[in-house]
Amino acid sequence: MKKIFFLLIASVCIHTAFGQHHGVFIISYPIGFPMGDLNDYIDKPSFRGINLEWGKEVSPNVIAEIETGWNVFYQEQPTQVYTEGTASISGKQFRYTNSVPIIAGAKWVLKSSNNLVPYAGVGLGTMYSDRSTDFGLYRISTDAWQFCIRPELGITFKSRNGPSAMLGVKYYSSFNSSDLDGQSFLTINIGVVFPYGL
Amino acid sequence: MPIKLTRLLGILSLVLISGCYPNGAEFIDDLDLVYTNYSNTFDFSSKQTYAIPDSVIKITGDIFSDPDGDHKPSFLSAGSAQVILDQINKNMTDYGWTRVNKFANPDVILLVSSVTTTNIYWYYDWWYWGWYYPGFYPGWGWYYPGYYPPYVTGYRSGSVLVQMVDAKATAAGVESVPVIWSCILNGLAEGGTSSIAPRVQKGIDNAFVQSPYLKH
Repeated sequence: MKKIFFLLIASVCIHTAFGQHHGVFIISYPIGFPMGDLNDYIDKPSFRGINLEWGKEVSPNVIAEIETGWNVFYQEQPTQVYTEGTASISGKQFRYTNSVPIIAGAKWVLKSSNNLVPYAGVGLGTMYSDRSTDFGLYRISTDAWQFCIRPELGITFKSRNGPSAMLGVKYYSSFNSSDLDGQSFLTINIGVVFPYGL
Repeated sequence: MPIKLTRLLGILSLVLISGCYPNGAEFIDDLDLVYTNYSNTFDFSSKQTYAIPDSVIKITGDIFSDPDGDHKPSFLSAGSAQVILDQINKNMTDYGWTRVNKFANPDVILLVSSVTTTNIYWYYDWWYWGWYYPGFYPGWGWYYPGYYPPYVTGYRSGSVLVQMVDAKATAAGVESVPVIWSCILNGLAEGGTSSIAPRVQKGIDNAFVQSPYLKH
């Protein structure tokens, strides 16, 4: 938990560093849908999370950006029997996965005359995943930093002055590490885009 | 001005997300676990009879201490023991076993103990059973034929341990007592007998459900 707060605080500091340039700050609410190995572990969507992005305009159509966020996946497994060899254990499980991506990437913005501005982006970075299973009075935990790729698509609803609204889809896919298989999930993000330095 | 707003939003976000962490277990019985294991080289189907004491012992440490000098350990209260033993007997009967006197040459003997410390004593002192076990031989210890129970620490809870011993494999000169089936009910030991009893009964039922090889 502390790590996550450190990461978010660090992100705020990065934002300050970017503050001297023309750019955008995007804060969005992600609804996460687990996929792959994560879906095998937790198949319920996540309604707990936040996503923060800081972008700098490097050309009229390209924004370089740094992104971080926090997605909390959770599922309660009803009492069932788990058997391995001759041993069986039964009880309820409470499963958690906290995912914190830290991504550097770029957005290609399709400038248009109307107020709807579509964009596509791709990012590379790392994803910190913390998987915990509460079983009885015990907690089994695994965490890993994994290489992560994240394509995205979205649209910005531009306002004349000040913040704009955005709606986007991001797909996070991390790669296997020794402690944990690659984790992947898709998010639908609804957020606000704040221009700054203009 | 927009920059200040974004900073404010960043800080606000930290506060908001700290409040949306999932809750997890809400009730005591959410934390109840039932663990069973057995020797797959033992033929349960050919055994019919069992003996069981009328008491549940309290295991207070690895080594059996006998401050009273009566060669007996501490016992769980008669009321609590009755709840546990009745439920075990009911399940054993349902599975086709017949309870006999410990001196009537039973096929297996069930030994029931309770633990409220932070460890499970899978290899607790065999002396605990000297007061009961027919043909007790003080030099015996435990072994779990063909499987190894896990070493688990950190129990902040109450546990009931049921050990099924192959009574035909114990005799003077034998070094260890073969525990051919074992079961642990583990959970928070909160509340009185009336609130714990239904959880223990349910746990014992689950232990037998997940041990179908005991059924005749």
